[in-house]
Amino acid sequence: MSTGQITAEERQKAFVSTRKPEVIEKQKLDVRYHIEDFDINDRPRQFLEAFAAILKHSNYRMALDHFIRVSAKCSRCATTCQVYQATGDLKDIPCYRSELLLSVYRRHFTMGGILRGRVTGSGYLTDEKIQEMAESFYNCTACRRCVNDCPSGIDHGLVTHLGRYILSEIGIAPRALVVSTREQLEGTSGNTSAIPVPALVDTLEFLSEDMLEEKSVDIKFPLDVEGADYVFFPAVSDFLMEAETLMGIAAVFTATGDSWTTGTGYFDGINYGLFYSDRILERVVKKIDVETKRLKGKTVLIGECGHASRSAKLFLPTYCGGEDAFPVINIMEYTHRVWKEGKLKLDPNGITEKVTYHDPCNIARQGWIIDEPRELLKAFCPNFVEMTPKGEDNICCGGGGGTVSLDEIRAYRTTIGGKLKADQIRATGCKYLVAPCANCKKQLKELVEDQEIDCEVVGLHDLIYKAIIFDDSLIVAIPEDDNSEEDK
Amino acid sequence: MDAFLDFARGPLFRVSLAVMLLGLLRILALDIFGAVEAYRKAGDKTLPWRFIVRRTLMWLVPVNRVFTRRPAYSLFSILFHVGLLLVPIFLYAHVELWRGVIGFGWWTLPKEWADWLTISTIVFALALFVGRVGSVASRFISRKQDYLWPLVLVIPFVSGYICANLNVGPATYQISMLVHILSAEVIFILLPFTKLAHCILTPLSQVISNVAWKFPAGTDDDVCTTLNKKGAPV
Ligand code: SF4
Ligand code: SF4
Repeated sequence: MSTGQITAEERQKAFVSTRKPEVIEKQKLDVRYHIEDFDINDRPRQFLEAFAAILKHSNYRMALDHFIRVSAKCSRCATTCQVYQATGDLKDIPCYRSELLLSVYRRHFTMGGILRGRVTGSGYLTDEKIQEMAESFYNCTACRRCVNDCPSGIDHGLVTHLGRYILSEIGIAPRALVVSTREQLEGTSGNTSAIPVPALVDTLEFLSEDMLEEKSVDIKFPLDVEGADYVFFPAVSDFLMEAETLMGIAAVFTATGDSWTTGTGYFDGINYGLFYSDRILERVVKKIDVETKRLKGKTVLIGECGHASRSAKLFLPTYCGGEDAFPVINIMEYTHRVWKEGKLKLDPNGITEKVTYHDPCNIARQGWIIDEPRELLKAFCPNFVEMTPKGEDNICCGGGGGTVSLDEIRAYRTTIGGKLKADQIRATGCKYLVAPCANCKKQLKELVEDQEIDCEVVGLHDLIYKAIIFDDSLIVAIPEDDNSEEDK
Repeated sequence: MDAFLDFARGPLFRVSLAVMLLGLLRILALDIFGAVEAYRKAGDKTLPWRFIVRRTLMWLVPVNRVFTRRPAYSLFSILFHVGLLLVPIFLYAHVELWRGVIGFGWWTLPKEWADWLTISTIVFALALFVGRVGSVASRFISRKQDYLWPLVLVIPFVSGYICANLNVGPATYQISMLVHILSAEVIFILLPFTKLAHCILTPLSQVISNVAWKFPAGTDDDVCTTLNKKGAPV
């Protein structure tokens, strides 16, 4: 695999800013993503106040204390980060990125640092430093690949996460994320894509009709079924952009006959809080809990989405009752299980083209879901090939950490963030690139387009939909009259 | 000179040893209390123990993973650490010294091994230094102490080797011995306060990182209240 850096021309393209100079001047912040206006007075003091408040009420302090003591500065992490590999910019070394925040912590929140600061009178947090953090933390895709290779066990993902949280408390957060979250928490639609319930109902009915025609099976999307085993929360954008994934999921449930439902009260798995603010993270997670309770569901089922799965799996217990919280499973875990149980039949030659699988960081990095989708794919794709590296060591799609939602940095994502991924995909020569995550799908579609790679980015269930074999008892004859009616 | 040596060997040694041990205990305790407290506050108390243990062992005995990145540097680092740990603890003369201070001793390294390990530690320390200076990325993130430590750490090894193996005159021997003891003592004293603290903290890294992702419930309310933002729109 090539680890080449980008060319000067690509670099120029990657760093174009869509922000107007007067906006940058007004906000006193030169970053590539859009932010809303915020109080620019005394920013360092605001930053430190927010930092202090967060330290007081969170668990970060012990990790920061540990990290500032153990770092070996060995620069192994530099060789792991796909961003640094692409830019070759020393400021993209993970350890350097983390040090931006760790040094503020050391200087302002540890005894030694405060004393040293008093004596030397230096090291105060400045506007320039905040500027640097604001740029740096969103250059990182929060993929946490570097974590795997740090002998000191430093979790740069956590440091970046905290850094973004503090920044967001003083108003520095990508507008795209904030606006979507606002709609989700305070808007009339209650979801990040602003889909009203009637539109959802229409879409689902329309998909059912389509599937009846294609498969001659009555495949439904149950809505508001009380007491269902699984309450379904996909990344809501799937309803607009990934219909085939949803069709595949509905097909699997039709084949197994298990009870599932989508709630019209809340049906969004997306949680941008994971990317910029723990406060938001908590509020969004609670919406899932409330809806599942309302429907008297038993298990929270998350669709094909990495960060939605991770935020629900990790943070439902955190914020909604610990051991008593609803269990969370990802749709791939469900499908894998029912397939193992023999409830799901797949045509062994369902997809004959070359297929490869992309591990979404949020579900693979810690070894959570790696084998299940591969076993499924191998069951119906005789031409399955792997990318290297894979699984826990996968390379991020390049749009992780919420950056994929920032359309204004697309060039950055597809020339820098996704550079290594593009090389990796090209090397497989695949026809289908399976990416079971709404974020990865969007990023990878843009990546293959911008990097001119000839392959189609799909979800796991898109392919399952093609390869599924229904029991004869489920096949229904399509009433001819209906069709002729429509033809008129 | 003899008085000097006795002082260095006696009271100074005990003081530096105490500083080191107490200092290390302190940061270890802080780390552990911090983690326990965080765990107690965490809303979710499940930890991926198997993953944590696997990762911890992997980095304590880094034979497998370590060669995937910066292989030469990593190899130097492992070999350096092997000698760095084994020689001070298992050299015959040192064990006798421990016996004098704490009353008991343990298995010792055969002399020949100890000599080779001493030499390898010196060589690999220098290799690490060169590796750091030679890499642009390393240079960029290195602090002063990152350059200094490999060089400082070889001082007791070089001086110890001179005393144990070279046929030097009594004056040189005494000076070497003094350097040996004093440099070791300086290292002892600085150990808990510098990056060398990783010798005791790194085994906890994986637990700490994983506990750190276990947030307490109610951050939203608490942080809002503290920052006077209650009820503020998103
Ligand atoms: S791998 Fe870990 S210890 Fe080494 S430079 Fe990176 S963060 Fe620091
Ligand atoms: S999380 Fe990923 S993008 Fe960020 S520094 Fe680490 S390897 Fe690089």
